[in-house]
Amino acid sequence: MRVLGDDWLLPALDASNRAWFTSGRLGLQACTRCDGVQFPPEDACRSCGSFELGTRESAGRGRIESVAVVHHPVHPLLRAHVPYAVVLVSLDDAPGVNLVGNVRNRAAGEVAIGERVRVVFEEVRDPETGETLRIPQWEVVP
Amino acid sequence: MTNVSHRAVVAGVGESAYTERGKAPLSEFQLALTAIRAACTDAGLDPREIDGFVSYMDQRNDPLRLSAALGVRSLSWTSQPWGGGGNNMAAAVQLAAAAVSAGYARHVIAFRALAQGQFGRFGQSRAAGRTGGDFAYQHLYGLLSPAQECALHTKRFLHDHGISQEALCEIALASYANAQRNPRAIRHGHPLTREQYHASRWIVEPFHLYDCCPENDGAAAILVTARERARDLRAKPVAIVAAAQGLGPAFGVSAFQGRWFPGVFYRDVAEKLWQRAGCRPADVDVLQVYENFTGPVLMALCEMGFAAPDEVEKFVADGALAGPEARLPFNTSGGNLGEAYIHGFEMVNEAVRQVRGESTCQGTRPVERSLAVAGPGYAAGSAVLFGAP
Repeated sequence: MRVLGDDWLLPALDASNRAWFTSGRLGLQACTRCDGVQFPPEDACRSCGSFELGTRESAGRGRIESVAVVHHPVHPLLRAHVPYAVVLVSLDDAPGVNLVGNVRNRAAGEVAIGERVRVVFEEVRDPETGETLRIPQWEVVP
Repeated sequence: MTNVSHRAVVAGVGESAYTERGKAPLSEFQLALTAIRAACTDAGLDPREIDGFVSYMDQRNDPLRLSAALGVRSLSWTSQPWGGGGNNMAAAVQLAAAAVSAGYARHVIAFRALAQGQFGRFGQSRAAGRTGGDFAYQHLYGLLSPAQECALHTKRFLHDHGISQEALCEIALASYANAQRNPRAIRHGHPLTREQYHASRWIVEPFHLYDCCPENDGAAAILVTARERARDLRAKPVAIVAAAQGLGPAFGVSAFQGRWFPGVFYRDVAEKLWQRAGCRPADVDVLQVYENFTGPVLMALCEMGFAAPDEVEKFVADGALAGPEARLPFNTSGGNLGEAYIHGFEMVNEAVRQVRGESTCQGTRPVERSLAVAGPGYAAGSAVLFGAP
């Protein structure tokens, strides 16, 4: 079961994000010339301008930098799921990269800034293509 | 960095009636025409003499339709800044000033018109279906609206600097208190108490209902012209002393990158604005700051240089911003929260009226420097300082 329900929206997949949402790994875009890591991906390196961009995997350990507990559902599919917490997670091995997510093993009101988290992947079948998506999510590490 | 020309002035302000979402008696296009004609009447200018239009936030009412409906004789200048939404309210004024100062146009209208009842609602989810691009990385986690995005910034800002919910409350109370003096304000006659604020429902923590801008319909406009041309017009001209649009390096468009988090992207705006204006925050007599949500206002106060983050709660405490005789009168027409949410352009009109001495919340001290700060939290930010000509 996904945090916001199995019928909640999935991303529109394209060449720039397919691996991120299907591989079960956190493959961050990295510049092959200057080694700069950036997120979200771009067609050019924001550090040196190079078009030669590859991937570097993060181990998926990090820290909760902020949390917003949503009470008002702005989409009809979310009415059954409020309140829910959206977190911002910084990665230990990619300074400056903050990822949006949810925390799977805590209630909305129990998520705090500063807590240590690790990545987990929600497996979900894409109803349009039959493809298996692996959505990065977070668990608080005791 | 070079100084900018000080040739441009505001020669007229105007607006439609402001209403709650869906209650405008006119079409959005008619609202725009009403505000533009009112600004021309205020200035004493035949609307056919308008030769330029600027707006922002992908304005639907384009200058070609407007020119035809107004009988414009010779259109010379149309432009909009890129990116975000209300963050470009002052950047639109900057474009108008640039066009006039450079001589590419003579009489430029800067405006914003919206009727959310007739088109989409800005407070709703951006995602109707599956999304790609940068939003792909946030919509699937239920991060869908500006309130939620600004809540992430605000929560961390409050946490880092030991700021309480009362500081957010003070922003809402100041706007509402000032709206009670302004008959144009939608919340006129609807005062807000501290108890009502705290008892109101959460939208997204740390924002209560009253921390969030409402959804309104209406239009506001100013007429920008050159100083020497304004002498022939009726209204007292107000100088556009300096404007700035700004964004520091390496900001991912919809990301929350570490370097800028938490923040509202106003440090670069502040650096340029104060340099061009040749003054400091302490020299400002009256201040309008776009409240999309109260939290970003606190951050904008800090990044623009009015208060240090550790001092900002004291800076706004106990009604320090409310009323015409406040130490720093703030959102004197009621702002987005109390007057109307015309994506901040009602604040541009108010900042001009303060210099003219025509505000419904006019203090006894003379106003020489009147600042309007556009929407914080989205890039690029912008601000405009008005003053005596």
